[in-house]
Parts: sequence; C-alpha cells; structure tokens
Amino acid sequence: MKTAPELLIVDDNPADVVLAREALAGSAHHCQINSVGDGVEALAFLNRTGDYATRVRPDLVMLDLNLPKKDGLTVLAAVKADPDLRRIPVVIFSTSQLGRDITRCYKMGANCYISKPGNLHDYFSAVKSIEEFWFGFASLPEQGE
Amino acid sequence: MSSAGTKLEVQDSTQSKAKLQVLLVEDNLADAELMLRELRRDGFDIATTVVQTRAEFRRGIKEGFPDIILADYNLGDWRGVEALEILQGEALDIPVIMVTGALGDVTAVECIKQGAMDYVLKDGLARLPEAIRRALREKHERSLRHQAEQDLARKVDELARSNADLEQFAYVASHDLQEPLRMVVAYTQLLSERYKGKLDENADKFLGYASEGAQRMQVLIRDLLAFSRVGRQEAVSGSVDCNAVMAEVLQSLASTVEDSGAVVTHGALPDVWADRTQVAQVLQNLIQNAIKFRSKEALVVSVQAEKAAQNWLFSVRDNGIGIAPEYAESIFVVFQRLHARDEYAGNGMGLAICKKIVERYGGRIWVESQAGSGSTFKFTLPAHGPEERVAEQA
Amino acid sequence: MNPNEVDILLVDDSQDDIDLTLHALRAENLANSIFVARDGEEALDFLFCSGAHAQRSFDSPPKLVLLDLKLPKVDGMQVLKRVKGDARTKIIPVVLMTSSKEEQDLVIGYNLGANSYIQKPVDFDEFRKAVKLLGLYWLVVNQPPLATGKLKAAKQGQ
Repeated sequence: MKTAPELLIVDDNPADVVLAREALAGSAHHCQINSVGDGVEALAFLNRTGDYATRVRPDLVMLDLNLPKKDGLTVLAAVKADPDLRRIPVVIFSTSQLGRDITRCYKMGANCYISKPGNLHDYFSAVKSIEEFWFGFASLPEQGE
Repeated sequence: MSSAGTKLEVQDSTQSKAKLQVLLVEDNLADAELMLRELRRDGFDIATTVVQTRAEFRRGIKEGFPDIILADYNLGDWRGVEALEILQGEALDIPVIMVTGALGDVTAVECIKQGAMDYVLKDGLARLPEAIRRALREKHERSLRHQAEQDLARKVDELARSNADLEQFAYVASHDLQEPLRMVVAYTQLLSERYKGKLDENADKFLGYASEGAQRMQVLIRDLLAFSRVGRQEAVSGSVDCNAVMAEVLQSLASTVEDSGAVVTHGALPDVWADRTQVAQVLQNLIQNAIKFRSKEALVVSVQAEKAAQNWLFSVRDNGIGIAPEYAESIFVVFQRLHARDEYAGNGMGLAICKKIVERYGGRIWVESQAGSGSTFKFTLPAHGPEERVAEQA
Repeated sequence: MNPNEVDILLVDDSQDDIDLTLHALRAENLANSIFVARDGEEALDFLFCSGAHAQRSFDSPPKLVLLDLKLPKVDGMQVLKRVKGDARTKIIPVVLMTSSKEEQDLVIGYNLGANSYIQKPVDFDEFRKAVKLLGLYWLVVNQPPLATGKLKAAKQGQ
C-alpha cells in the first residue's frame, strides 16, 4: 500500500526492539523503523518537539505498556486525545495477558492488542502479522504536514 | 490474734516466692489457726491472709495472688459457694478447697459442681495437706497445658504468615522471572537459527542445549506461577455445576482426547461449593494425566461422584499404566516425577496443583492404583457453602 | 445461533459481498457464528441490544464488527460514531470495510475511533484473501477485549 511506511516502536527493552527489527528485516514493505525507550520520548517524537522536530509522523505505533517515565496507557491516552495524533493506529504489544489490562487499553482507544509471545518463532510471526496487516492491507490516513 | 483482714504472718518479700500464698475465707479465727497449724506441721511454708466478707475476698483474690483458697461453707451472712461464683466472675483459676463443719452430701456435691477442687471436714483436717497438694498439682498441670496451647496457637499463626510470605515470594519470583527468561529463549533460538552450520559443530549442539534448557525453564516457571496463584487468587466460591464444568473441560481437551482415541465418560455430577475455574483445573489435570499415562489398550476414563456426608467424593478412573502403591503419596509433591523426561513429557506440577486446590476447600485427594492396572484418583469437595453447612449440622 | 454468542457482526447491504465474506470466513474456520445486518439501523439494534435484538446482552459483544460505510437507513459513519461514542460499546473492535477510496472517509473513520479501515478489493480473489487475513488478524493474532463477566478460564491459567 504505502511506500516506505514509518513505524514507531515504543519499548524500554532494547532486546525486544532488536527482535522486532530482525523480524521485519527484508520485509517487502520496506518499513522505516524508529524506536524510543520511554513514554516521554514517545510523546516528544509524536509531537515532533525538541530533538524530534524534523521527524515524520509515524504511520503506525507499536506500544509496550511497561515504560519508564510515562507508561504505555498514559501515552495511549495522550495520543487518542489529540486531534492530530488520534488517527494514527496504535497496536499495543505487551507481555501482559491480564484481562483488565487488555480491556483498559481498548477503552482508551487502542486499535488492537497483541501479546508478546514467549518464543522466537511466534514472536516473529506476531510482528510480521502486524506489519503485513497494517502496511499490506489496511488503509492508513496520510500523515503529511 | 490480730483482727480479721490482716495477715497473720509478716511476709518477707524475698521469701514470698517460695512461700505458698494461702487465702483463708473463714469467720472463725480459731478454726483458721487450727488449719494453719495442720499445714505447718506437714511442712508447708505458708503466707496467709484471712478474709471474712465478700469485699475482702474480692480484694484478696485480685491483689494478693493466692496460690490456693481455703473456704468455709458457713460464713455468717454468706456462703462459701458464693466465693466460687465471685472467683469465676473474675475469671481467675485459683484452686478452692472447702474446709467446713458437717456438710451434707448434697451440699458437698454442689460445691464441687460449682468449681471447688475438694472439701475437707474440720474434724478431719489431717486430710488437708494432701488435698492441697493434689489441688496444686492439678493446677500446675492445667497451667502447663494452657501454656502449651498458647504456644501452639502462636506457632500456627507464625506458620500461616510464613506460608503466605512463601506464596507471595513464589508468585513474584515466577512472575518476574518470565521476562528475562523470554529474552534468553528468544535469543538462543535466534542464535541457533542464524548460525546453524556456520560455526563448528559443537556450537550447534551447545546452542541446542541452551535453547532447550531455557524453554524447559519457561514451562516450569509458568507452571510454578499457576501453582502459586492457586492460593493467592481470590477464589470466587459459589455453587458450581460440575456437569457444565465437565462439558467445558472436555471441549478444551477435545483435540487431545481425539488424538489419543480416548473415551471419556461421566455419570451425573453434582453441584459443589468451590471456585468454578479451580474445579475445572482439577478435572482437566486429572483427565490430561490419564491421557498422558495411558497404556497400549484403548484408553477409557470414567468420572463419577457419590455423596459422602457433607462432601461429594469424585473418582476419575482410567485403565492406563497405573502407579505402584509406594509412590501413591509422592506423586502429589511439587515437581515430583516418576518417569524420565524422555519417556513422558511434563514436569510434575499437575497433581500438586490439584492437591493444593482440593485442600483449599478442606478436601482430600488420593489415588488407588497398582502398576499395570490403571488408576483411580479420588478427591472430595464440599457440597454446600458455609451457611448451609451450619444449618445442616444444627 | 445464540444471539449472545456471535463472533462477528457483518454489516453490509450488498448480497454479493456478504456471500463472499461469509464464504471466506467459513473456509478458514474463523468464526463459529456470524450475524449479518443489512442496514445501519439493524446494526445499531444489535449492538445496543434494542428493538428486534432486545434479548441480547451488553456482556456478550461480538469479537469483531465488519462495517460497510454505504448503508441504508443509517450510514456506516453514523453507526461507527454511536458505537465508539458509548462506553458500553466503544471497546468492540470495528473494522470499516468499504469500497470508498475517499481520503476524507479514512481520516474521519480513524478519528471517530475505527480500529481499522480496509478498502474492499475489486478482484474476487483479492477480496477473499483480504477477508481471510482480516479474520486471522482480528480473531487469532489480536486479543479481543474480554467481555465483562466472562472470564476466560483458559487465559487465567496462564
């Protein structure tokens, strides 16, 4: 669908970010991957403030819940409350399988919720599914301006 | 003789611990003196207080810490038995011996019933020392027993708290261990795949072992988490329809049952008082075990229930490989396995979890089995909730 | 079909598209029960447990709503707006599935809270592939929100 779509991964575990990059290496959609490690950085990136002034708005956000400084739910709430940011699909990608966490995310406007699987194969499969669905099939709004 | 209400002997405070503190409830001081003489003659080292009125008696027992009370029956305007009532009212356990003139049998029995240890007639004072000794002995034994009970209660309390701490620890540990473990599993797998055949042959083997070990750890920790959750979770106890639960369990085991060709049947199952999810867990674990440890024969599993007093006794019978009786207890121990890892998969948590759940509701679980001839697992669960149970007993 | 055990609510007025979608979903064994509403009003009755669907419960929402935009009686955007605007229904995943290519619709849809937006492929095969992927993603990969009062015993064990 999109040429060179932009993906923002928000995760405080660099090992998980590397895994996601590995999973997406060689993807047909050539998605550009950016990552930040905490909630404050995430909002700065999305709002294009400070160091991120020249960044492009991402077409998709993969958001972990356990983040330092500002947690995932806080970031999610901020994004979905902002008239310019709320159109960006946010995929919660977290190890938590607690029903109440899942429900709360949906209530806050998360587009979907994917549990991080425990083994390599399933993890890769999940990340690839996310990329394939959002960049290969779904229609995404332009993130111009 | 000094007037009533005063001590007849001066107590030396350093000696008072060794002396027997006697409280005499007697309006006749001559009689009192006779009693004391008898005791001294028998070798007692005593410190005495004589009281005559109810008020003095009350003060005497509350302030004097007597070891023993000798009370007359006839005390002018009151009776010795009243002293017994006063004593009980103050919740003090001090042995009382009625020392009295002629006492009808009926009255004597009444005194004993009211709590007197013994009674001695004033014209038979020779019996008094022995009566006192016996009363003191019994009091001593009572104190020891009471102390033991208190110690026990305190230990039970400590144990409960220690248990709760351990469960908390097991839960937190297994929960927090999952994350770093996930990293080890994912990256050993990635290394295995990326560098397969690119390093020397040992590398492939080593990475394989590391990867396997990590994955096994993952399963162990998940099971440990499940085990520690049994105690922690707020069990929502209610009336559980076991027929419905059984149907759900069979549905979630559908593919396993089909693959193994097993036939699982059950009789009409009752309602029990427990947490629905946990009842499902018990049934599921037992049926899964039956399937896992089946023999070459086509597996038949039968689940039945019969009433046993306030509980329902469930039995899950299979025609699998069976269990030698000497292992019948150890199989319920956490992580205890009877077979090598490559013979049968699994890490020995299933039965430990069943046991923990069943015991949480005051039930028991055990197995009746012989090696080579199938097993019958039996467990009990309460039929009713607490209020109904009380009503049934009333 | 038990009205309280519906996995997917399909809202579309084109019989051809309905047939294709049902066929594709069933071929993948993705959904045990799919309910079809042919206009926006029925979709709203279904989701808000009113009218002909008064016996439905808010405690058993569908796991996914596939919503076309061009609908009779009440159009798709209106349905979306109402569903995402009500606390009882806003957590239900709603995927807009429409032939519209308007950038307008895209932006409005996502802004209103649509979980995703798919343009219906014109090609027969592509359409089927899209539905299959949709179903797989939203029912297998994705974790739908747990309905209130329905604790999944299987998930609790983990």
